[in-house]
Amino acid sequence: MNVNKITNNYTTDEIADSFVLTTNVKQSKSVLAKSLKDARKKTQSETSDKTKVTLKLMQLKFQIEDYLKSDKFNPKFTFSYFLKEYVDVLNKKRKIFAQEISIDETELSQLINKHRLPNDSIIIRLELHSNNAIPAVSWFKLLEMEKAHSISTNTALRKKETKNVKNRVTLNLI
Amino acid sequence: MTITEIRTNKKVGVVVSPVNSDDLKVLTTKRYYFSWKKISLEAKLYKLCIAGQDDILGVIALVDIPEEMRIEIRLLACSKENVGKNKLYNHIAGCLIVFTCREAVKNYGDKACVSLLPKTILKEHYKEKYKMQEAGQQLYLEGESLIVLIYQYIL
Repeated sequence: MNVNKITNNYTTDEIADSFVLTTNVKQSKSVLAKSLKDARKKTQSETSDKTKVTLKLMQLKFQIEDYLKSDKFNPKFTFSYFLKEYVDVLNKKRKIFAQEISIDETELSQLINKHRLPNDSIIIRLELHSNNAIPAVSWFKLLEMEKAHSISTNTALRKKETKNVKNRVTLNLI
Repeated sequence: MTITEIRTNKKVGVVVSPVNSDDLKVLTTKRYYFSWKKISLEAKLYKLCIAGQDDILGVIALVDIPEEMRIEIRLLACSKENVGKNKLYNHIAGCLIVFTCREAVKNYGDKACVSLLPKTILKEHYKEKYKMQEAGQQLYLEGESLIVLIYQYIL
């Protein structure tokens, strides 16, 4: 069906409610690009810092949500990575952020640098700090994904533990 | 995200996901107005379905332009029974537009932008309904207007 048939069969309100119909370019692409670039430049210059931080926090939230939904391990997307991003997005000094969630600055650095794992209290403090934008369960699932990957790929430990297992089940259920 | 069943005024959860080759076979011109297979050659297609169901209620064609931190909406259509005065569900188009906003924010953060080059007769409607801003012939969403729409439909 072409666009004319749609415009003949439905009112403008009905079309706007159920379609996004675009048009062929009347102006050259460079003119269109320039007008959009200029308008966006103006919008960006008028955008408050609060709005920018909100958008960056949304970005982090959506990245975590989609990563967890994908269920596909990515070595980059660790708890530590997202914690660092969170602190960076808020544009806070680590010392200040550590005070805000009542931990030592050294402990925060250890968490960010993967030298320490967070306990449940810290995960819940992160949820509270983000006003539930990034729930504790999301932080927990990031850790869980890392653990699941580590345990499923740890051949050295499997080899080491073989001597400690006797009388194995002979069924093949894989 | 939810759409509203008009008859019962009940909210129903929906999922937006990429269109695959099997979907293209059911996206007929008769029910979805356009040749989506042809459009899929130049844009990425996404479908909206009720959670847990396969029936496609709406389709959107998007072009990602990373160098401009922008996603352009090329086309959007609801299925035939969701167009006009007897349509079954409300907010299908809104959910697909807000899905685009979410993708743009996920990829580009505070620099994210969603744009389209609308038919002239529809421009004012989109401006009013989705608070789109004008840039010559084009309309766009950026900054606060993205946040408002995302809060309205997702959060």
